[in-house]
Amino acid sequence: MFKVLHGGVFTTVQDLGRDGYTHLGITPSGAMDEYAYRWSQKLLDNKDGNALEILLSGLKLQATAPTTIGVCGADLNFQINGISQPIWQTHNIQADDILTFKKRVSGMRAYLAVKGGFNVQKFEGSFSTTLKEQKGSQLKMGDTLPYESTTNSEVKRVSEKHIPNYPTHLNIHLVLGYQHKNFSKEEKEKFFSSTYTLTPEMSRMGYKLQGEAINTTQKGIISEGISFGAVQIPPDGQPIILLKERQTIGGYPKMGSVLPRDCFMLAQMSIVSTVSFELISVEKSQELMKEFYGFFNQ
Amino acid sequence: MKHDLKLETASVNSVILYFEERICEEVLDQVQHAYGVLKTVPDIINLTPSYHSILIEYNIYKYDTNSITSTIERILYSNPYVQGSSEGKLIEIPVDYNKGLDLERVAKLKALTPSEVVAKHTAMTYRVYAIGFMVGFAYLANVDESIATPRLDSPRTKVPKGSVAIAESQTAIYPQESAGGWNIIGHTEFDDFEQFEIGDRVRFISV
Repeated sequence: MFKVLHGGVFTTVQDLGRDGYTHLGITPSGAMDEYAYRWSQKLLDNKDGNALEILLSGLKLQATAPTTIGVCGADLNFQINGISQPIWQTHNIQADDILTFKKRVSGMRAYLAVKGGFNVQKFEGSFSTTLKEQKGSQLKMGDTLPYESTTNSEVKRVSEKHIPNYPTHLNIHLVLGYQHKNFSKEEKEKFFSSTYTLTPEMSRMGYKLQGEAINTTQKGIISEGISFGAVQIPPDGQPIILLKERQTIGGYPKMGSVLPRDCFMLAQMSIVSTVSFELISVEKSQELMKEFYGFFNQ
Repeated sequence: MKHDLKLETASVNSVILYFEERICEEVLDQVQHAYGVLKTVPDIINLTPSYHSILIEYNIYKYDTNSITSTIERILYSNPYVQGSSEGKLIEIPVDYNKGLDLERVAKLKALTPSEVVAKHTAMTYRVYAIGFMVGFAYLANVDESIATPRLDSPRTKVPKGSVAIAESQTAIYPQESAGGWNIIGHTEFDDFEQFEIGDRVRFISV
């Protein structure tokens, strides 16, 4: 197992989330950056696995038995026994090894998976921690993360060309939908031609943007289901992109939804980074997502 | 009666089915009926019904935008809603109104006695119009107009689990302790929040 010596800023256990419960008000939850998460699983050949989602720095773990881990995503100056280690690869771990994520270099969230997955409790078919629903909790000092001890195996690396550089500006693709017809042509043009800045209001629930305000004639709508990546325009006109731990229903008008692949990248971008919206058809967005999932299902 | 089908794109893998833009039992009955029908469609990942809509998230390896639309249309047209046919179970909630932190204030505001407020709250059969905000939080309507009360000016940071509360013409039970701005008029030990489904009928019983 790992003993948690320090829980870090915000560390939770995640997988791909839970489907089929939104009618009860249960959010899907899951890893904010599926790209890095899926790599952490692929490197270890994990099926039905899970990983720690490590936001920023501070996490400190001690191993009690040998295993192999995969670390992908943000560069948080990952160290084993005080020595900095490359990420986007596996590492063999021995009993008593100390693992730390010292400080943020790039990206926001690192994923640490263990061979065979952590033996922790599932809730409604998923390992994903969802704090507002009291499913699981944030890691804290004294917690333990059990795993099956495994003998060391050959180190596997993600090839250079698949390792992303986290941008400070991103064009994010948006599928028009929901109430988009209720925004005037001018407001839509403004929406698609403006640059928005990420604000400190960025959580697993959603990211609030700041920039050119989008006027809406509708202050509120009758509450309705919210999809992953939905872009709400509240009365102040500043868009909010709703992510993995979004509320299941809500009453603000929406312009449409961001391509999930772009939401995953967004999860690695920090405050004062910027985004612009670019229109994409549903057909094209499905093609891109099939390409994304297909890559990991090979 | 024919469905007035209005289906809009919501995201890469979801569409949203809209009914008439009103909050009323007539529309709720149609949502409830369509929700029941859509539950039988294979390869649907999530169904999120609410007051006048159903968000339908589908598997993009099984449907494209055309086939999801035609599948939904076909099944709803072949299983039309018949007025007055609404089903849904009846759930009875025992309430201790002596534990209503805001009961006296609501009564005063409405120029009623606390027991009159209780009588009016228990007299109605409510319907589940939506579930959200938190797990198992069912929005029940409509409360008797004479006890409809606006939300608190400043929400409480802690509303106890099991609080029975009113906000405007809606009533609800807090399934967990949480922040909240609804007026608490009672408390229940009821703890089976996952059985609530859209359209269900709910009655409160004073104990």
